[in-house]
Amino acid sequence: MSTEAVRQLLFVTDWAIFAYFVALNSSYLVLIGLAGMEFARHLRRQPFAGGDDMFRSPLTLPVSLIVPAYNEGAGIVAAVQAMTALRYPRYEIVVVDDGSTDDTFERLREQFDLVEVPRVVPGEVPYRSQVLSVHVARDHPETLTVVRKTNGGKSDALNVGINLSRHPLVCMVDADSVLDPDALLAVAKPFGDDPLRVAACGGVVRIANGCTVVGGRVVDVRMPRRWLLRIQVVEYLRAFLMGRTGWSRLGGLVVISGAFGIFRRDLVVRVGGMAYDTIGEDAELVVRLHHHLRERGEDYRVIFVAEPVSWSEAPASLRVLGRQRRRWHRGIAEILRKHRGMIVNPRYGRIGLIALPYYVVFELFAPFIELAALVLVPLGLWADAVDLEFAWRFALVAYGYGLLVSLVALVIEEVSFHRYPRWSDLWRGVLAAVLENFGYRQVLAVWQVAGAASAWRGRQAVWGSMQRQGFDSPSVPPLETVGPGARPR
Amino acid sequence: MLRLFTVTIVVLAAVVAVLGAALVAVRTVRTVRRRKLAALAAGPRRALLNFVADNGHDGGHDLVAIPDHAWRAVEPAALSLLGKLRGEAHLALVSVFLRRGAARTALGALHSRSPVRRARAAQLLGDLELRQAVPELCRLLTDRHEEVRVVAVRALGRIGDPAAAWRLIASLDRPDPVPSLLATQALAQLGPDAELTLSAALDHPQARVRAVCLNALGQLGAAGAVQRVARVLREDTVLDVRIAAAATLGKLGTRSALDPLTRALIPARPTPLRAAAARALGELGSPAAVPALAALLDDDAYRVAHEAAQALRRLGPKGLAALREVVEREKRMAGESGAGAHARPSPARAHAQEALALAAVSGAAPSGDLVAV
Repeated sequence: MSTEAVRQLLFVTDWAIFAYFVALNSSYLVLIGLAGMEFARHLRRQPFAGGDDMFRSPLTLPVSLIVPAYNEGAGIVAAVQAMTALRYPRYEIVVVDDGSTDDTFERLREQFDLVEVPRVVPGEVPYRSQVLSVHVARDHPETLTVVRKTNGGKSDALNVGINLSRHPLVCMVDADSVLDPDALLAVAKPFGDDPLRVAACGGVVRIANGCTVVGGRVVDVRMPRRWLLRIQVVEYLRAFLMGRTGWSRLGGLVVISGAFGIFRRDLVVRVGGMAYDTIGEDAELVVRLHHHLRERGEDYRVIFVAEPVSWSEAPASLRVLGRQRRRWHRGIAEILRKHRGMIVNPRYGRIGLIALPYYVVFELFAPFIELAALVLVPLGLWADAVDLEFAWRFALVAYGYGLLVSLVALVIEEVSFHRYPRWSDLWRGVLAAVLENFGYRQVLAVWQVAGAASAWRGRQAVWGSMQRQGFDSPSVPPLETVGPGARPR
Repeated sequence: MLRLFTVTIVVLAAVVAVLGAALVAVRTVRTVRRRKLAALAAGPRRALLNFVADNGHDGGHDLVAIPDHAWRAVEPAALSLLGKLRGEAHLALVSVFLRRGAARTALGALHSRSPVRRARAAQLLGDLELRQAVPELCRLLTDRHEEVRVVAVRALGRIGDPAAAWRLIASLDRPDPVPSLLATQALAQLGPDAELTLSAALDHPQARVRAVCLNALGQLGAAGAVQRVARVLREDTVLDVRIAAAATLGKLGTRSALDPLTRALIPARPTPLRAAAARALGELGSPAAVPALAALLDDDAYRVAHEAAQALRRLGPKGLAALREVVEREKRMAGESGAGAHARPSPARAHAQEALALAAVSGAAPSGDLVAV
């Protein structure tokens, strides 16, 4: 191949990459625009949404909160206390201790005066580990159940929790999550409004780092101190809050975060519970529900609720962030491979024709294209296929458009929910949106490529652990204990 | 081409600057507006809280005299109180709203072109419990916007006029019906005077309508409807309706419900129906159900055996004795066969142990039951 042909190829590739960036950011902009419309609709209807009626109604569907926990000793008590204080008429909490090697169970036992009880574990969804014991809170036996089992991973813990749950709705919550008091009411409401069609509903997850958490509740929202976390705050706003709301409005939501999502139990049982062959078990369940329900031609909805929220601790170090993002991208790659038959298949409607192809092109491949740009544009420059004038303008437009998308997300957040009341946090958000483009996105792309590659190579998935800071809960008294003082066996 | 890039960069820079300015503007406007509203609402809010704290005996005139612009600042708080208050304080606050002309305005807004306005008006009329609004709210049950229909159903439930029963039932028989749970709640709120209408609707051709009416009868505790509900349990062709009938019989709590529920337990019936009937027998509270429930403890279907064990637990001493008997019998048999404590418990014993332990923890059974299992 002649030098000229190589130059021509580099030139065309660089333009293709540019077109890809424009298309990618434009798609984000469309989703954020749809999210903005949805927020406006939501806020206008807030006065007659009927949340209080739902809270008072004896017919509100009861919920089982399933909390898988592995070495969550630092924050598990505060998390469960916060859950016991949720504003919802009837619910139970099922904590599944997945073979923790720390004091997760001991802390729970001490705080809630757990007593061991025999339980028959139905095998409605498959699980692989061994259930060692089941405990209930002495004073609230119908409200809090703690299951101890041998380690089997998150999917296994969730499946055991689903088996032991008693209510028609199951809500999966991470053990490090702090829920807003009305969060459960908000995510369960679509099931009351449209019980025949709503199959699943996702709640938004925001970053708790930097916020003040008292008694298991976020009482003061602030930007975190570290820039790595501030950038993640903007990223969560843009991708999770706005992106998923946009997809929900389009009827193409395929990801509900495992940190806060609610499902109809009968449907979860019908599709076999959580999958073991993917590390993105939360999103996989949603795609499998779509798969199952579309194949049967059932009329259903998967919804995303933007407010109120669940707060989660985000990785504060590059090492943990890298592990998380490799895992997430690996999950996307595995899910898309597993359900490849749905992609561009008209039988699956918007999911097959819009959502999944989008995930292939703009989620799975995005880090590959980003890295390709980082290599090919300088290469084109070196080979004289493009000149410097083109290169710096290319970079400025590509990243400038990305910045614009982030700023639109910040403006919509400010207009709608304005969760960050301080002026200083506003500036930090804007600066984080700028800084994101210098190093963060590029490193992220490397991790994501590594995650996808490990999925394709079929390497063993490892969850890894994250050092939790835990949340303070000085003002919440422990549950009152009555009856004999003897400790459980 | 470079020129196009340059123009794009300039446009992007301009848009970014505008967005930055928009952020500042939105924040500034909100802060100023919030302060202004807080200042405006401070006096009226104090008057409102004093009025409510005084059960509405004093201060009504002051609230009516508040200028419109100041009332608008405090209205969200007043509406929120309206939904929460009961008794005299509620009536007094309703009177304030009526004297301010809120009902007249809301009745007019029911004809607004905006679905949000119609829904807000319906919500307010429901909170005011205004019976005169019932015909207009019934009209909204066929509104083309679902959210308006939903608010109308809630408002009619809140007002509690039995005259709305048939219209509410009819709103379930549409291609895009109102949510079942919401309709059930609203129908139950209409009170005992709606019982006849609900009973008559058990013959409605739509299964959804029958299921909702059954649930509403259960909520009402309509003991007079037992025979009709039992007939539905026996004869209806739709499983979900029969399950609803079983649950309703459990809630009605009359002795005549025992026989039809016991008949629904037989193995030839579908598993979900048997599980529902077992649960209902537990709610019914009749010790006469003990033998039938005890026989289900070794049922092959997990849900049936589980519900039977839990029903026995709820039945009190006789049910608990039956559970203990299952555990003891198996222990004796294991002892006789030499398997002793290492014998794997049968499903019946496992379910019995689970129920006994829960009873012990909740104080319904001696704590010895917890140790014994």
